[in-house]
Amino acid sequence: MTAPLTVIGIRGHRRVELFRAAAVAARLPEPAFVDWRDVCADRFDIAPGSTVRLESPGEDAEVDRLLRGADRPAEHGEIVGLAAWYAGLLEAARRVRRRASGPVQPPVGDLAVMFDKRRCHALLRDRGVPVPDGFAARDYEQVRAAGWGRVFVKPAHGSSASGVVALALGPGRVSAYTSAALDGGRLFNELRVHHYTDERHVAAIIDRLGADGLHVERWFPKASHEGRVFDLRVVVIAGRASHVVARTSRSPLTNLHLGNARGDLAAIRAAAGQRRWAEAMETCERAAACFPGSLHAGVDLMFAPGFGSHAVAEVNAFGDLLPGLLVDGRDTYEAEVAALTAAVVA
Amino acid sequence: MTIGGNITSFAGLPVRRFEPGPVGRRDARRAGQDVAWRIGVDFGDGEDRFAATLDALLDAVGGATVRALVIGSWGEPHSDVPPLHLLIAARDRLPSLRALFVGEMTHEECEISWINQSEYAPLLGAFPALEVLHIRGADGLRLAPVRHRRLRELSVESGGLPAAFVRGLCDSSFPALEDLELWLGVQEYGADATIEDFAPILSGAELPALRRLALRNAEIADQLAEALAAAPVVARLRSLDLSMGALSDAGAEALLLGQPLTHLRSLDLSHHFMSEDVAARFQQELPGAAVDVSDEQGADEDGFRYVSVME
Repeated sequence: MTAPLTVIGIRGHRRVELFRAAAVAARLPEPAFVDWRDVCADRFDIAPGSTVRLESPGEDAEVDRLLRGADRPAEHGEIVGLAAWYAGLLEAARRVRRRASGPVQPPVGDLAVMFDKRRCHALLRDRGVPVPDGFAARDYEQVRAAGWGRVFVKPAHGSSASGVVALALGPGRVSAYTSAALDGGRLFNELRVHHYTDERHVAAIIDRLGADGLHVERWFPKASHEGRVFDLRVVVIAGRASHVVARTSRSPLTNLHLGNARGDLAAIRAAAGQRRWAEAMETCERAAACFPGSLHAGVDLMFAPGFGSHAVAEVNAFGDLLPGLLVDGRDTYEAEVAALTAAVVA
Repeated sequence: MTIGGNITSFAGLPVRRFEPGPVGRRDARRAGQDVAWRIGVDFGDGEDRFAATLDALLDAVGGATVRALVIGSWGEPHSDVPPLHLLIAARDRLPSLRALFVGEMTHEECEISWINQSEYAPLLGAFPALEVLHIRGADGLRLAPVRHRRLRELSVESGGLPAAFVRGLCDSSFPALEDLELWLGVQEYGADATIEDFAPILSGAELPALRRLALRNAEIADQLAEALAAAPVVARLRSLDLSMGALSDAGAEALLLGQPLTHLRSLDLSHHFMSEDVAARFQQELPGAAVDVSDEQGADEDGFRYVSVME
């Protein structure tokens, strides 16, 4: 019997392991595995008819180098070549699609939009999903010229909080919170949030990021709970908001990778109230529905203080790594396997 | 530290957020009088929305029942001053207002040093029965000299308190003021008052009822401590608070060598840069007082002592 599933990922990465475990637990045959390195080198095969699951190519310096088409790997934490990485990812994903005779998850077209925050934002906005106002920029001058007082500046092709700058602009003063730091003319993503108030320094960081494209959004003030601001990562699987975590922080950047903590979801849910929670989950489902070919999507949802309104910050193609979080006894991977099986059967 | 959460009680009352709209109105009518109402608008909303929300609140609950009001964001607090004129215009609909907080928002809504504030004398003039006034943020904060007979509690939280406000405060008269709390902040964020500017407060001449003096979050905490060692106002205090600031052994030793503090019921020096021995001496010498010397800080590599709240 041919393998019904093929996973493209990083060998030994826990995303791959968790998905494999979920497939085996669902009594599916062992998924075939293809390393992104082999996709980049164009030495791989996919069994005919196999459904292909693309996993994140992140957290592997060599794959990162190959996708960027660079000579040398980036240093640990170095933010470099994001636009080249994006082009490389799409090229590799298209190569997979050409080689596969079954469906590819997520579809390459969805990947192309979700990994370009400008396109993703425009799509959500056009479909009536609440998002903060935004625009595309290439450098600090363009960000400043918009005249907006508080913005989030995001690398168009960044992932997680890497390179994101929470920026306040006033007459003669700036304030920037970011995990990015310049060192010897190069930019690094660090595990702590820096606060910069020197405009030239802030401009240098944003100009450096801007070479690969920026998406600028109005700073949507997030609600807080127990003295920490939070947003939600909502994994929508087969159209339904399924697994949810609250990501809390003392800084404006709520990403879990920055040493922040999961918040008390039940308490936050209670604070929001049934109606507003349901409306927020519906928004996440509508955001995911902008990518009908994707069985799952990780939607980042922000509540305003007081829960009176909410907005979507991002939609992530690989936003489902929430190990140990069970809904109806299933983690995200198990729920996705169930959805995948149902979809294939249907 | 930054301000990460909203207050849950104000002036002894639980804070209830007012939601405009039919559901909010119905809930508001049920809530009764024993709450502090919180109103605010989302970012990007302007004065019109704020005015409509205030109007909806007064309409729903009956303005005469409102005893305490907490104003959150007025839309673009980093660029616009608070709409105090709307409160002033509504004075006749707020005959029972005793407590007001302007700018109660988290750093996520607006960092404290970016909150625009304004001139408060007209507001105090319009609400002669006001007893409690809390203000967060001090960019542009001013006070033309006023005389206010009822104000018991005044608090200004800031990362940098302007001298212009301090001077206005010193030239004002608050015969009923029992509790004065000022977060002085740092020069970098607008704290341009010198120790001399605080002399009238430390003399206590215009503050006959003062029982609690809190000069918190102060870069000049050592100078304040030295001045307090001989300040006439101290004798009438029950509580003294120099917490959140840059207090080091220099200021602390001056305070210990100065006038007796044994009459104090509480002395809050938390978030400080004192050595362990010096901090312990406050506890030894004030056995009858609640002395807080927790949260010891260390200077950074350049010897700089950070106050608790700046940006």
